[in-house]
Amino acid sequence: MRLYLFGFASDDFLGRVVVTPDERTVAQLADQLVAWGLAPQRGGFLTVRNEAGDILDPAATIAESGLGNGDIFKVERG
Amino acid sequence: MVLRRDEWLDLARKVDWTPRYVDERELFPEEISGRPWLPREAWRDWNEAYRTTYREYVANQREKDAAVLGVRAALSKPRLFDDLDPGWVQLVKFHNGAVALAEYAGAVAELRMARFGRDSAWRTMATLGALDEIRHTQIPLLIGHDLLAYDGNFDWTHKAFHTNEWVILAARHLFDDMFLAADTIDLAIQLNFVFETGFTSLQFMAMAAMADRAHHHLFEKTVASIQTDEARHSQIGRPVMRALIENGSRDRAQYLIDKMWWRCWRLFLALSGTAMEYLAPVSARTRSFKEFMTEWVTEQFVKNLAEFDLEKPWFWDLFVEELDYAHHSLQLGLYTYRTTLWFDVAMPDRAERDWLNEKYPQWNETYGALWEELERRWEAGGEAGTLSYGLPALCNLCQLPALFIRPGRNTACTLEMGGRRYLFCSEPCRWIFQQETSRFAEHKSVVDRIVAGDAPGKLIDLHQWMGLQAPVETGKDLRRGLDPWRLDPVPKR
Repeated sequence: MRLYLFGFASDDFLGRVVVTPDERTVAQLADQLVAWGLAPQRGGFLTVRNEAGDILDPAATIAESGLGNGDIFKVERG
Repeated sequence: MVLRRDEWLDLARKVDWTPRYVDERELFPEEISGRPWLPREAWRDWNEAYRTTYREYVANQREKDAAVLGVRAALSKPRLFDDLDPGWVQLVKFHNGAVALAEYAGAVAELRMARFGRDSAWRTMATLGALDEIRHTQIPLLIGHDLLAYDGNFDWTHKAFHTNEWVILAARHLFDDMFLAADTIDLAIQLNFVFETGFTSLQFMAMAAMADRAHHHLFEKTVASIQTDEARHSQIGRPVMRALIENGSRDRAQYLIDKMWWRCWRLFLALSGTAMEYLAPVSARTRSFKEFMTEWVTEQFVKNLAEFDLEKPWFWDLFVEELDYAHHSLQLGLYTYRTTLWFDVAMPDRAERDWLNEKYPQWNETYGALWEELERRWEAGGEAGTLSYGLPALCNLCQLPALFIRPGRNTACTLEMGGRRYLFCSEPCRWIFQQETSRFAEHKSVVDRIVAGDAPGKLIDLHQWMGLQAPVETGKDLRRGLDPWRLDPVPKR
């Protein structure tokens, strides 16, 4: 199922809408967000959290991570 | 014998008659005259500090109009753009589009008070206020029309409020809430007490000071003239506030202040903050936006609150923190989404960056690298690399992009209600929404409309939907990529 989520990367200035199939992994979701930001070339490990601040398993699918339509996720480098 | 002014003025101001065919509640229904519905006696002491008569009003306004029109005539149309900085021209276009018809909404609000305000002196003041606001609509329309010959986008002075352009939707969302969908008590607190005494001095007095230094004397004269009207009719707020406080409605008054302070702050940082620090030439800047806000808005408003023993809004610390960065983040949003605007947007040049860093010591560390990245992208791949193509996350209350963050700081939050998840840029926006869910819940942001299929998802179609005829009307880089450190002097448009 396709979801729309609101992603906030820690080195970006803007929350961005991400539309994605929910069978993708959390790691792929993070990559998709930072690719649209202003510093995609920085690379490095990405930590993904939900709105409550819980760290999401990068190998889990978006559906498994509990993210649903309209949810916030935050991506931090390192 | 002819009475002297002071002998008849109080009688003329206070012509509250006793209704014989309807009772007072029917004459002034609570739904539009406002809550709490207080007995007539509670309003008997409603007094404005500065009293004026219709005769005096007309004479004063005639002089003020003559002063504005005199500058316009002296400059004559062919010289309207002479010596104006190209960024300043965009600032005026931005200001005109966002403000001219908002003033007309202000006229509707004043007229509502002119009929349904509970005291005749209030109604008289509001009648003059309505005339003021019509004037504040007409003058920018006139000047915008003059400028059409030089830049067709000045038609947005009139057109903007009739479009779905996203900045205008955000402005209209606020003005509908504050002006058009409010009873007279809420109007007096929101429009007169908070918006006009708190914020419009920033838009008009600060802009007038900058216009003088930018050599735009017609704009200076216009906004300064408008501000003198605002200062007069804004005094409606104080006696209404006094009646509320004295009649057990302190909590309601505090809520209206908190709500409208935050909502006005959001819009002003978007309009004034970005324009003052990214479109006004450095030579025209007398103070930073933060300094203006601190000295002209915050300090004065805190005194007003103290007069009524009211508290600062509960989110004050966040507001103060945001003074250092919120409009800088928004500017990056405006720049990277500039094709969705009706005015051009600037990338700060070296002198501007130095100025910004002097005024905001964290600016370079926080934002400098982001602007440098945009520069590198322009060098490497042309303008296309400097644009955002994905959708920004929009707040379901203020309707602005959820970008009141800086790297490492994010205040966005959500709310699940009625099977729908709402996004907010910040806790205060969510709090306001929660206080009046029935008022706000059914509204859809531009992103909600795109997701629901109510607005087109393709950018070219979205431009059309927003009223922007691409590529002629859509916003561009102010210098078309020919930045001044590479090409000196800057070519004028």
